[in-house]
Amino acid sequence: MKLELKNISKNFHGVKALQNVDFQLQENSIHALLGENGAGKSTLVKILCGVYQPDSGIINLNNKQQSIPDPSASLSLGISAIHQESVMFDELSVTENVFIGNHITKSNGLVDWGLMQDKTNQLLKDLEANIEPNEKIKDLSIAQRHIVQISRSLIHDADIVIMDEPTASLSQKEINELYTIIRNLKKQDKSIIFISHKLDEVIEVCDDFTVLRDGELIKSDTIQNTNKDQLITYMAGREVNQIFPKNNVTIENEIFEVRNLFKKTQFKDINFNLRKKEILGFYGLVGSGRTEIMKSIFGITKLDEGEILFKDQKILIRKPSDAIDQGIVYLSEERQQLGMTGLMSVKDNINMAVMDRNSNFYVMNKLKEIKNSSAMQEKLNIKVSYWSQLTQSLSGGNQQKTVIAKWLSTKPEVLILDEPTKGIDVRSKSAVHEFMGELVEEGMSIMMISSELPEILGMCDRVVVMYKGLIKDILNVKEASSEQIVKLASGES
Amino acid sequence: MKKILLNRDFILFSIILIILIAVGFANPLFITPKSISDVLTDTSILIILALSQMIVILIRAIDLSVASNLALSGMLISLLSTVHPELPVYYFIALSCVIGTTLGVLNGISIAILKVPFIVTTLGTLSIYRGLIYFVSDGKQVYSNEFSEDFLALIHFKFLSLSFLFWLAVVVFIIIYVLLNHTRFGRNLYSLGGNPDAAKYIGVNENKYIIMAYSLSGFFAGLCGYLWVARYSVASTQIAIGFELTVISACVVGGISVMGGVGTVLGCVLGALLIGLIRNALPAVDISQFWQLAISGAIILLAIIINTKTEQRKEKTIMVEN
Ligand SMILES: Nc1ncnc2c1ncn2[C@@H]1O[C@H](COP(=O)(O)OP(=O)(O)OP(=O)(O)O)[C@@H](O)[C@H]1O
Ligand SMILES: [Mg+2]
Repeated sequence: MKLELKNISKNFHGVKALQNVDFQLQENSIHALLGENGAGKSTLVKILCGVYQPDSGIINLNNKQQSIPDPSASLSLGISAIHQESVMFDELSVTENVFIGNHITKSNGLVDWGLMQDKTNQLLKDLEANIEPNEKIKDLSIAQRHIVQISRSLIHDADIVIMDEPTASLSQKEINELYTIIRNLKKQDKSIIFISHKLDEVIEVCDDFTVLRDGELIKSDTIQNTNKDQLITYMAGREVNQIFPKNNVTIENEIFEVRNLFKKTQFKDINFNLRKKEILGFYGLVGSGRTEIMKSIFGITKLDEGEILFKDQKILIRKPSDAIDQGIVYLSEERQQLGMTGLMSVKDNINMAVMDRNSNFYVMNKLKEIKNSSAMQEKLNIKVSYWSQLTQSLSGGNQQKTVIAKWLSTKPEVLILDEPTKGIDVRSKSAVHEFMGELVEEGMSIMMISSELPEILGMCDRVVVMYKGLIKDILNVKEASSEQIVKLASGES
Repeated sequence: MKKILLNRDFILFSIILIILIAVGFANPLFITPKSISDVLTDTSILIILALSQMIVILIRAIDLSVASNLALSGMLISLLSTVHPELPVYYFIALSCVIGTTLGVLNGISIAILKVPFIVTTLGTLSIYRGLIYFVSDGKQVYSNEFSEDFLALIHFKFLSLSFLFWLAVVVFIIIYVLLNHTRFGRNLYSLGGNPDAAKYIGVNENKYIIMAYSLSGFFAGLCGYLWVARYSVASTQIAIGFELTVISACVVGGISVMGGVGTVLGCVLGALLIGLIRNALPAVDISQFWQLAISGAIILLAIIINTKTEQRKEKTIMVEN
């Protein structure tokens, strides 16, 4: 046995994040740690990394009892982790972020920049990542940051590698590369703890699984002895139907159109339109320019050329508030950084963007606020431990849902969603999808960037496929095959 | 090429050059080697203190007590030298550094262990250390004739017609440069300042680094305590009063972000040089005292604005131009 946890409990001010959890990681295996948002997965990871101390319970590593008092102890025991939240240093270079906390030093005690640079370069090449070691992290895209985090855990040469939702913002191609990496790690006699909400993939790569629910151990077994539906039932405590609700609404006239959008080095010749009550998908590899287009439509960045038409009128969007005034809202991919205020409660976060609607003559109407937020909380299954819990102490997935709720509260006419369901559990995912369906019925039009093909195929009416800043094609989802879309997105054909 | 032109340090360097040339036109005497070497000597203490302040600012803190620390250390060794003039000068220097370090450690402990916010702590010790000078000296001054010759000699030593102070500043620059760029300690300071939450995950012990940063700041304040009294041959309750603000503005002008985690050692030195230059140049071109303050304030502000404006985000290339 590589690692064995016995009877681990952890409370946060009375919130039972983990209760008497046992966990066993076999030598040389890939172990899936599963559970809904807020089940306690990340808490378990942080205990293994020395970030949290368990209230009770023991940790056996290689059949020897160990304590992990701090993160450096964890590293020196050969445990390394990719955390769910970004542990990145924006102002520092890629090389430095890879080696952070573990700089290589020369015999004279000084940091060996040359060697670190070479190793980083080599590693990035092995991962086929197109990233310069000298670049600052703040200049990288989300997916590239992810790759840097992965490189960091590889460079430590740890025996146990923990990945807390490493695939959340990657697209299929990168995910496949990641799996190759994980399988290679296994070949090198390492053990991996893998956390993900993408169950198909979990079943494909993992050997064993452990399911947590509300901080308790529900089931631990080998993957062979189970299937997807059973896993979902373990996680949710009941059966969940996770069919994507097809929206059977009649699509109306065109409401939004862009013509010849162009931004130097980012994208060009971008033409598409959106019709009322339509869901228009955007598919492509991570870094194909989808987010960049949406950001410039929303006024976060500036377009070099092109026009935007809304209800047949040319509109000028210089800054996000212009777009919001028109009724166009963008739910950013960088939710934790841009979308929420960690030191506010969930209720306040949800109501933040609709203050004027919930107030009478500038005085907040508490009742309306509570009504709105509790409706949203219920709809999206946002799990809080007590009503005033600060958003920053929620589990990762519940933070995501809070931000989604905030923007959906604004009831815009055109909603742009960037990876709306990344990192949230199966049950909440279908809740979000269902909600999207309702919104469209009520007359909203949606543009959705997603790297999950099933989501695109299930939810969208048409899909815009992008490759390297260009639109390859716009397909009718009913007539398109997934192979065709994937091919277009990878630049073939 | 464009990259160099937009480099903060390069811009700062250009501003310094422009001022130098402009002042040179107005008063050619100002750009003689002698006069420039005087400016450098005059700015050396500021450079040393700005460099050590930088260490503290990097971790999102500030040390407001440096000038008081400097003055107290300087006063204590001056008093001792009047009683024991026979002691060798390195003894006084070492003692001054020890006193300074101790005062710095006290700041660090208050902030890291007692959790008193850094502003409150160092604002408090700014007054306490200053007050202690009155206490130990009874409000009296130590005059030049009371120092031993040995005590003052070192400061007049010259090499390549540049002063001891200047060379010391160069040494400190190299030490801090290596410390911040080529040691784990230095790099961890950057990570702690850049993202304190994430630094926890990689095992950086925040308290240890706070105490270390304030000790270093104290150490250099102590060193400058000796330098200051020896250079001006006087120790009084008033020395270096308000100097902490000059030091902090040197850092800010030099591009050390008070948000933590950003700034180069070279930039810090250039910031100090710019401020030292302005302070010396304005009197040289016959500008009234009142305008001097306003103009130096304006130049500092301008430098900061130019500095932040050039900090543009680079965009990723997605499309290969076709
Ligand atoms: N610092 C904290 N203070 C208070 N409560 C916390 C804290 N950290 C976690 N919790 C609570 O502990 C529970 C478990 O959280 P955890 O982050 O482990 O969930 P998770 O399984 O990783 O979920 P997700 O899939 O959303 O990432 C949640 O109910 C969360 O609100
Ligand atoms: Mg989590």
